[in-house]
Amino acid sequence: MRGQPWLRRALISLPLVALLGMTLATAASAAEGGGSGLSPIVPKGNSPNGRHIYDLYLGISIPAILIFLLVEGLLLTVIIRFRRSRQPKDYQPPQWHGHRLLEIGWTAGPLLIVFFIGLFSFITLQRDYTAAASDNPDVDIHVVGHQYGWDYTYPEGFTVSSEGLQPTPLVIPTGKLVRLRLDSKDVIHGFWVPDLAGKADLVPGYQNLMWFKVDRPGEWRGECTELCGQGHYTMQIRVKAVSDADYEAFKRTSLEAKAKAGAPSPSTAPSPSAAPSPSAAPSGSPGASPGAGASPSPRPSGTGYSPTGQGASSS
Amino acid sequence: MASVLAPPRPKSYDDTFFKPISLWLTTTDHKLIGIMYMTTGMLAFVLGGILALVMRIQLAQPNLKVIDAETYNQLLSAHGTTMIFFFVTIFMTGVANYMVPILIGARDMAFPRVNLLGFWLIPMSIAIYYAGFFTGGAMDAGWTGYPPLSTKQFNPGLGVDLWAFSLILWCVSGIMASVNFLTTIVALRAPGMKFSRLPLFVWAQISTSILLLAVGAPLAAALFLLELDRQAGTTFFASNGGRPVLFQHLFWFFGHPEVYILILPGFGMVSEIVPVFARKPIFGYTSMVAALFGIVFLSMAVWAHHMFTVGMNIYVETWFMVMTMLIAVPTGIKFFNWIATAWGGSIDFQVPMKYVFGFMATFLIGGITGVYLSSVPVDTQLHQSYYVVAHFHYVMVGGSVFTLLAGTQYWFPKITGRMLNKTLGEWSFWLFFVGFNGTFLVMHTLGLEGMARRIYSYPGGFGEEGWGATNMFITVFSFVIAASVLVFIYNLVVSWKHGPPAGDDPWGGNTLEWATTSPPPPYNFDKVPVVRSNMPLRDMRADGLRPPLEHQALASHNS
Repeated sequence: MRGQPWLRRALISLPLVALLGMTLATAASAAEGGGSGLSPIVPKGNSPNGRHIYDLYLGISIPAILIFLLVEGLLLTVIIRFRRSRQPKDYQPPQWHGHRLLEIGWTAGPLLIVFFIGLFSFITLQRDYTAAASDNPDVDIHVVGHQYGWDYTYPEGFTVSSEGLQPTPLVIPTGKLVRLRLDSKDVIHGFWVPDLAGKADLVPGYQNLMWFKVDRPGEWRGECTELCGQGHYTMQIRVKAVSDADYEAFKRTSLEAKAKAGAPSPSTAPSPSAAPSPSAAPSGSPGASPGAGASPSPRPSGTGYSPTGQGASSS
Repeated sequence: MASVLAPPRPKSYDDTFFKPISLWLTTTDHKLIGIMYMTTGMLAFVLGGILALVMRIQLAQPNLKVIDAETYNQLLSAHGTTMIFFFVTIFMTGVANYMVPILIGARDMAFPRVNLLGFWLIPMSIAIYYAGFFTGGAMDAGWTGYPPLSTKQFNPGLGVDLWAFSLILWCVSGIMASVNFLTTIVALRAPGMKFSRLPLFVWAQISTSILLLAVGAPLAAALFLLELDRQAGTTFFASNGGRPVLFQHLFWFFGHPEVYILILPGFGMVSEIVPVFARKPIFGYTSMVAALFGIVFLSMAVWAHHMFTVGMNIYVETWFMVMTMLIAVPTGIKFFNWIATAWGGSIDFQVPMKYVFGFMATFLIGGITGVYLSSVPVDTQLHQSYYVVAHFHYVMVGGSVFTLLAGTQYWFPKITGRMLNKTLGEWSFWLFFVGFNGTFLVMHTLGLEGMARRIYSYPGGFGEEGWGATNMFITVFSFVIAASVLVFIYNLVVSWKHGPPAGDDPWGGNTLEWATTSPPPPYNFDKVPVVRSNMPLRDMRADGLRPPLEHQALASHNS
């Protein structure tokens, strides 16, 4: 019979695949989040919302792993026990057409499991995804994405621009609620720093909100997550969390640099009198004027996508 | 072996493959159209696979510049579009085109000429899409083509227009096929073939057709509006006054059910194959059908789970999250029913059955990662990362491709009259199983660690150094998949010409296709069969109209 060599191969290959997975998992945990590409779990965020995602991921993993083991175990049992070569020669399989109770069981079981997963997800969702809009943030940064880079406008009025594969960090203070108001000048982008929290899209036409409350100083990488053109992969992000004193120093130097750059600050358009034509849209980002309503409202009209606008912000 | 039902076939029909080209071009025979669909799909599979291999070479190490970023974006868009629209859907339509009329005891589809037109729209659609590569740049905004990136302002080239036009044609063809399937199944069943006796593959085709009928038109509409934005200056989706997110809603209202359009026929094939090789009836026929329709309903209520990061109201997100999680329930019913069907059976692990078990082992992983992704908070971490790439390949390859390979292995003897080479079949299965898992398993971990999808390169230098090794691993295994597909296609081509004759019923099947000759005569049955149960071949064996199973020359001796 041809069954036997196949059985041997099945017995060897399936555990091999499982073994491979486990080796990878252990290698990853040994690497301790060190960029091996083998992390078996979402990063344990350095911000409460990121950490809640981590907890939720672990929670979902309990039924997920159990179901995985159960079903793969059943499949292996079927493969090993019920192959024709192992059955008696005159074996007649039982002709079951169904079993009401069993079928109800494996309808209700998964239903119950997804109910609890849904419930815990909803609790996290309600706690962490409304905070940005309702709370009063300590630092409110306006993030504008463009092809291909980021402008971070701080409440003090200065703007940090970042482009290219060696991004300029978004500097934030530790222990403070930092809110990002996300906005795009052109196409849709996505803001993601895996080690802090989840991601949000930057959609032209309205603002999205996200927040961090980073508990320790550090520097983390991130990137644009929505295909936005040829330079999509260059839209790297760095976020640098610093102590309060360092943050104050950062603000001071940034403001000084802005003042030194002269009247037409790097983040805003030339003054109206210098504008070549009245049609030039006011391309400065709204956040450049402190005190502008911080509520998540549609952007003021006339946000032009003119090359002048982009040129001004990246210069 | 002399068939009891079918007298010798007309001479002109003896060899399906070598027919004059004029016959292929003008035939309205559902079987020949089915073969053309399947051939087109298989060619698209190879094409899409080559695109993927080029992308894998580009990604093998950090900072490679094998191709440029623009080409990379064109390739990723073409890979997605080709695999989803031109390979899996088309191949599945081909199998259904061939099998549905035979399975229900009909002589042809209800509208043979619509069938012909519907098929010929597909090569046109593919040609139009790929024309982009020769007219200054194909579509480069991903297979999803989100505006504003796909609007004229940011994408002035012809590629997006060709993509939109190509997919509108594809929708028209899909709607034609769906209407045709539904009419055929409702109107042309053999005497006694009640709905309660329909093979589950036919039920799967009913649900697929309903889905495509419901969501094909919205996709065409979305693309049409996008074209208006591009060509007529409207602002449905353009960022200056329009709503880019509206396109995403319309696109995914099609896009998510499309996933089920790809997988439900595969579920149907599995439901046909498991009982035959386990020598047991399908477990829970009624709940299998109910689960299909549960999936049809739910799949149209989950689309915005692709959009959890665009900034929706959290209660709206909760609705889509819960609906998405609920899909695990009918899918779970099907899974457990298949296992119960096999349980206690006398299972012959022929190559089709191996593909079926490969499907269950891998699709399970895709299903489980789907539950993680459905949870909104977790999704905000995983969305648009390689975790998602891994997830949907586990669903689409682990699900659809494994099953369609199983179906091909299962029905090849019927379609060609010849057996596939068993050794080559085993090789193609094991290479595919190992290559697939090797390629996609570690994509999960890359995504968990923060590698975004659709990136041309990853810079390294800030924690991503180690990604190079993992990506190299993936690239190597992607070539194992390629080897498997080569073996598979070689097997198809060689066995079609030289394989041992299959006879009418090499597997000991349960359904009507095994009651006719291999390949079936032009009108499928010389005498319309009468159906008494959902396993008509068993009844025929009991009545002495077919040789009993014990004497069946099983395919295992034919290798």
